[in-house]
Amino acid sequence: MQSTQGKKSNRKARVLGSILASAAMLLPSAKNALADAAPEEGVVSLKYLNYHDRQTGDTSFTAGMSKDRTTVNALSLMTVVPIAGKWSIATTFIEDSVTGASPAYHGWGFPPDSKKDTTSGASGDLRYVGDLAVTRYFSRGTLTAGASYSQESDYISRGISLNGTLSTESRNTTFSLGTAYSSDTVFLNKSNVVDSKRSDTPGRKRVVSGLFGVTQVLSQNDIMQLTATYTHGNGYYSDPYKDPDARPGKRRMFTLMTRLNHHFDGPDGTARLAYRYYTDTFGIEAHTFTAEYGQPLPHGWEITPMVRYYSQSAASFYVPTGDDPRKPTPTDGMEYYSEDQRLSAFGAFSYGVKVAKELGRSWSADVKYEHSEQRYNWGINGPGDPGIPTFDFRSIQVGLSRKF
Amino acid sequence: MNMMRFNMKTFRTLAIGCALFFGLSASGHAFEKGDKIADFTLPGKAGTVKLSDMAGSVIYLDFWASWCGPCRQSFPWMNQMQAKYKAKGFQVLAVNLDTKTDDAIKFLAQVPANFTVAFDPKGQTPRVYGVKGMPTSFLIDRNGKVLLQHAGFRPADEEELERQIQAALGGK
Amino acid sequence: MKKRVVLAGCSLLALLTMSGLSGCSSVQPWEKQNLAKPAMTFDRDRLDTGYTEHMYSSKEAASGGSGVGGGGCGCN
Repeated sequence: MQSTQGKKSNRKARVLGSILASAAMLLPSAKNALADAAPEEGVVSLKYLNYHDRQTGDTSFTAGMSKDRTTVNALSLMTVVPIAGKWSIATTFIEDSVTGASPAYHGWGFPPDSKKDTTSGASGDLRYVGDLAVTRYFSRGTLTAGASYSQESDYISRGISLNGTLSTESRNTTFSLGTAYSSDTVFLNKSNVVDSKRSDTPGRKRVVSGLFGVTQVLSQNDIMQLTATYTHGNGYYSDPYKDPDARPGKRRMFTLMTRLNHHFDGPDGTARLAYRYYTDTFGIEAHTFTAEYGQPLPHGWEITPMVRYYSQSAASFYVPTGDDPRKPTPTDGMEYYSEDQRLSAFGAFSYGVKVAKELGRSWSADVKYEHSEQRYNWGINGPGDPGIPTFDFRSIQVGLSRKF
Repeated sequence: MNMMRFNMKTFRTLAIGCALFFGLSASGHAFEKGDKIADFTLPGKAGTVKLSDMAGSVIYLDFWASWCGPCRQSFPWMNQMQAKYKAKGFQVLAVNLDTKTDDAIKFLAQVPANFTVAFDPKGQTPRVYGVKGMPTSFLIDRNGKVLLQHAGFRPADEEELERQIQAALGGK
Repeated sequence: MKKRVVLAGCSLLALLTMSGLSGCSSVQPWEKQNLAKPAMTFDRDRLDTGYTEHMYSSKEAASGGSGVGGGGCGCN
């Protein structure tokens, strides 16, 4: 344990030299981010979202099917309050307003013959979401209990959840276990619900999910996470506003998410990679790849470009477009059927960039732009439906955050 | 399915790599109550620091790093303790573990430390003391025996730690 | 169905293999300077994540994967 005299004086000289060299520099704002440490500071964050999507009939088959579809404006507010270093309470409140129609059903979704286009789709006008999570921090783990409530004119969702983490003594491995339950109500008495589905009795949906994850420190610069989630849903899965559309009353979903973060010593940047595998009993299989790289810059700036690729197969009961994409396809003899383009096979490519700036020790601001485009022939999960026009959206987020 | 196979292969490779690495690194056991402390000599903020030179004092030995949030929180409290109990023979010794000592110097330019600070960028001392989290502190009695090992730091811990310091000072 | 069983088995194996890695505590607590950076965490900006997941899950069939619980969504 004894250092030699020579080493000592060398190091001392270096230390003194660097005192002079760097005393004036600012400290990096890095905070302890160990999984089981309570936050040291409270946070209040506000974020605004503007979203817009459209469809472009850019093939001879889908020509004339272009349309600006939906605009969403949303505002969310999050607060995290640490209590006595052992607890934290996090609350989120979101309000969003939607105008326009949800993405096309190939028989109904296009002008000029779409009916009640501006009010169709499960997302009506305003949506409110509130959620609360209380976390207790232990020396080697956490326990979080959460509750959430979401309401829109035709839909109410209530949920509860319980999540726990446990780390090994070295804190290089963290196991997480979680479960959640939600009970949803779909109101079917609105005037624009299709005749065959209109009812004074609301539709119900009950969803139970369970999660098991492992987070592993691989090196001083690498951390990896693997999470398996199983979701078991029963109830009303059909779209009340669309016909033909009859979906099974149960949906079992399984996802496996792999994430890897790597820190680069040279530029002091961080690459974050993720791959998600998804499969469900609707017969859909999907792959999602996400990559982003955050580069800190002088004066508290940070720039993060990102790319994403997504591909899904079609649901087993998806009804492809026939000779004319604008006409409903016959569904004679089928038990389940849907023309929802979200259940067709497609691929999507996204890119985006986020710019963040630290404003002094407690404030920070950020702006993010993201663009995503779906095409029937961009997928890797089997052939798409050429009758589905290209769909794309862009979003802008503006955020402001303060630490206390 | 191909994707899954790829993942499995990756994991197997990782597992083998990790097993090899583990064979090469082993960490010491944690110092516990009643253990005789291990002496060390390190370069300090104001000259060489040798633990055994402080023998006869009650020592609060703290392992910290500039990037660790709770460590930052503990500094005002350690200043306070040092000022309050110095006359009774109490000393704080804070061993910095930043791999780049420059980072520690930058930190100290911002956060005052009115106690002894030493630098161990190679992390030899925490290995011997079996440090399992950041920060970790040891309260050492006048005879050089460990009275207490404390992992982490939060404001809620201050009172209890101060009581332990008082007890150590009072007991001869 | 068979495929699904194989898949479940594979992921279970992968998880167990990763759990097996817990034996190698190769990174010491004082060596976690980079790992402690907010950029190295998996949920750095929760509101951003919330918006982004909501946008994609309402336009794509797949959803979830990074956690359970939280705000509901009236989308099918």
